[in-house]
Amino acid sequence: MKPLLKVTRHGVYASIQDKGRFGYRAQGIPVSGAMDRFSFEMGNQILNNSTNAACLEIFHGGFEFEALSDHTYVLAGAGGDYFDNGVKIDCWKSFRLFKGDRLSIKGTVEGSILYLIPQGGFRVDPILNSRSNYPTANIGELLEVGSILYGHDTEPIANTRGLMPKFRPQFDSSIEIHIFKGPHFELFTQESRDSFLQDSYQFTGGNRMGYYFKGEKLVLREKKDIISEATQFGTIQVPASGDPIVLMADAQTVGGYPIIGTVHEEDLYKIAQLRTFGNVKFRLVED
Amino acid sequence: MPMIEFPKMMWISQYTVRFAFSEEISQESFLAVQQFNRFIRKVLHHKVVETVPGYFTVTVYLKGRQNFNEDELIEQWRLIQTERMNEYPSVGRELRVPVCYDEEFALDMERVMEFTDLSPEEIISLHISKTYVVHLVGFLPGFPYLGELDSRLHVPRLTKPRSLVNASSVGIGGYQTGIYPIDSPGGWNIIGKTPYPLFDVRKDEPTLFQVGDIVTFYEITKQEYYQFIQESV
Repeated sequence: MKPLLKVTRHGVYASIQDKGRFGYRAQGIPVSGAMDRFSFEMGNQILNNSTNAACLEIFHGGFEFEALSDHTYVLAGAGGDYFDNGVKIDCWKSFRLFKGDRLSIKGTVEGSILYLIPQGGFRVDPILNSRSNYPTANIGELLEVGSILYGHDTEPIANTRGLMPKFRPQFDSSIEIHIFKGPHFELFTQESRDSFLQDSYQFTGGNRMGYYFKGEKLVLREKKDIISEATQFGTIQVPASGDPIVLMADAQTVGGYPIIGTVHEEDLYKIAQLRTFGNVKFRLVED
Repeated sequence: MPMIEFPKMMWISQYTVRFAFSEEISQESFLAVQQFNRFIRKVLHHKVVETVPGYFTVTVYLKGRQNFNEDELIEQWRLIQTERMNEYPSVGRELRVPVCYDEEFALDMERVMEFTDLSPEEIISLHISKTYVVHLVGFLPGFPYLGELDSRLHVPRLTKPRSLVNASSVGIGGYQTGIYPIDSPGGWNIIGKTPYPLFDVRKDEPTLFQVGDIVTFYEITKQEYYQFIQESV
């Protein structure tokens, strides 16, 4: 076991994530896993890691680490101000930290989520076949100042590897995403259905469980108690307030609010990377 | 047993299919869901990551994009029901769960008394006299939705949910009763606490309750409660 990094400054939120925890939803245990699956997968690919290697998912920034050994890393996801001993580091390109280096993840500028991925992934004991943190149920330990992240002994990559700019994702503040109609779509007024599919909704904040949006209120034709049923990463539910919530990677497995739609799997990373006050337009998937 | 109609199929997203029986909470829909859940896990097992049975739905999470012929499924469902019914017996485990209804744990007993016009003894006796079925597990890891509660105990959930309900607290809300598996916010009326842990990630089976389990409660004193806790440490 090779000590890689010590947390010297704790920022907004960070958690260890892999692809997620599958097979336990019927027992109420969420899938979790990387919110921006695209960046997570590309980052691991840059380092030739296994597709399920554990990484550190960082929201917004504010973190600092001390390198405890020499090792190769990549930053994938949101662009921003990231430094090795004060020298700027770019996303999507492997880089080497040497023992004693200070890695500073100051803040994301384009997008909101950054993956810090070491070659070989972080070394974390799996719980229920996954290394993804799910703090609500005390699954995995969250970082604090002084925490040490471990890795695997690997041969350093000889050359810098990276993703060519034309293949890198763009994280815009105004996005369009594709959705499927939800099981309760028809229960909403015609006006609400039209607004939902035509207007723009503003992201007002959220976390790994759900993102909150505001826009034209979405109302049911008549008051109705919804019988709870399964939900997923991407479920768009509407509580009595009329403001939609998009359930994210730590989504509870079952919900009792009307479901107006579900985000297309391939667009989940776009919504995950929204910054506060960003705008989204929901577009119906064409069959 | 009468034939169960094939449920209505709907794509929720690229990789998720939802099968829905008639929208209700009943013993019939529970049995239909249980049977269909076993059926779909069997006939599509190589295509399925996992399934989540609900009150009247079975949601199927697929391994990537999958094609399957609905007509074929309908035919298989019909066959299984007419010829090989016994292959899908729906027998849940029977669990007897001790509950201490002492005022130390029964935080909302007074509220329940007000709504029901019953004494604590009557409330306890109605709560333990019923046999419950775990209709679904969710909301929190291992949280069992148990039905059906005696109609005399139907009490609306708290208007303002508590910011912290302790793990193993027993609550009633609407037509259901349930137990909080972990410390969490919650809006159910708390009437007792079980000494049993409901959720432990270190175990192979991390949750105490599974869908289909048959549950009865029995009353224990505060002394017995603490004895249980001591013995299990």
